[in-house]
Amino acid sequence: MTRHFSTALVLAAFAWGAVANAQTAPASPSPQSTATPPAAPAEEERDDAVLNRSQPDFTLINLPTGLRMPQWKSAFRITHRFTRPLGDGSFGNLAADAFGLDSGAVIGMEFRMGIVPGGQVVFYRTNDRTIQFSGQYDVKQQSESFPLGIAAYVSVDGTNNFRDSYSPAVGAVLTREFADHGAVYLEPIFVNNSNPEPKELVDDNDTFLLGIGGRIRVRPTVYLVGELVPRLSGYDPKKTAASFAIEKRAGGHAFQLVFSNTFGLTMAQIARGGEPNSSGGNNWYMGFNISRKFF
Amino acid sequence: MSTSFLRSLRWGLFIAVAGMAMGACDEKLSDLTGPTPNLKPTLSSIQSEIFSQRCISCHNGTGRFLPSVLNLNDGSAFANLVGVTAIQKPGLQRVAPGDVENSYLIHKVEGRAGITGQRMPLNGTALTSGQIAVIKRWIELGAPNN
Repeated sequence: MTRHFSTALVLAAFAWGAVANAQTAPASPSPQSTATPPAAPAEEERDDAVLNRSQPDFTLINLPTGLRMPQWKSAFRITHRFTRPLGDGSFGNLAADAFGLDSGAVIGMEFRMGIVPGGQVVFYRTNDRTIQFSGQYDVKQQSESFPLGIAAYVSVDGTNNFRDSYSPAVGAVLTREFADHGAVYLEPIFVNNSNPEPKELVDDNDTFLLGIGGRIRVRPTVYLVGELVPRLSGYDPKKTAASFAIEKRAGGHAFQLVFSNTFGLTMAQIARGGEPNSSGGNNWYMGFNISRKFF
Repeated sequence: MSTSFLRSLRWGLFIAVAGMAMGACDEKLSDLTGPTPNLKPTLSSIQSEIFSQRCISCHNGTGRFLPSVLNLNDGSAFANLVGVTAIQKPGLQRVAPGDVENSYLIHKVEGRAGITGQRMPLNGTALTSGQIAVIKRWIELGAPNN
């Protein structure tokens, strides 16, 4: 009950922000276009509905980006990771299995909405019955006078349809954009209860991780995306989670072909690391993400 | 009220909520320990929930040979287990503080290959993985007499 109450309060906090921002809220954003946004020295002047070519989506592969969601606009995303390791068997076997298409998959569905200028809330469910609620608030935007974008991040995931084992996380998303060429990210995040065992049986029940990622625009609508999630302290089993993707944007859609060593999709799952193979290396898996902006 | 005040208030609330969220969570040990929901990784708890329930009918210190020479009665188990060489496996201690893999007690309750005799407890159902996990944790913590 306490956990549900906490989640409700997170949403209430953002709702409060909506009231507090009423005076400075911009006019209704114009539909998303491909025009380059003008320089935005003041926070209130940025039109969040205009395509940001340096960070066109709200996530890298698993980690959040600093992209702002226009108020009362939304986006949807599907994540899909095939469970067949790409390194198992010969290439012929792999091709016969359609590179994992014939195997099971870890699937997630996400819906996010901007509820205040610069603030968004996210609902995400994976097919292991884990539900994650998260929120992000844009504290400071990159400008000529400030080199970074800073967003506060908070989440809590719960297994068994948010009825068991809750893992809250709090952190920051630091973004550095490079004109229209892409962006890099540093994301220090503390995850509580990252260890799935009861706390009485473990030494570490928390993880402090540092998400490191980037997105490079290699063609007008094509990006290379990568992220690495080393654990700096606390519970750090298995391997450092790493993911790479090639991304194609088509209007409000983005399609990513993903190669990843982890099935971690929520923040607590990411904190648990990537999958080792029998020789101590990494198991790599193929997958995809599809996202759609509704603006 | 000024915008800056409202912004500060909003952030204060945000941080407070984040802090509250940090206080949530965790799995219940009782969900893991099945038939002994009160089992904890302490010797007194293991004594009352496992040794006294499942072991002392044989391991009671009344004889000169196994099983009765091993005394797992309340008040005797620590001295008979921790740091004591296993009769059946002289290369191992019955309980090696901090070293689960070299603790013969674990080998016996898990029924590992290489044990002498049979898996323990001998009669009835084997200990659950959750119960064994709690005993392992007690050993990992140094097998204190607590």
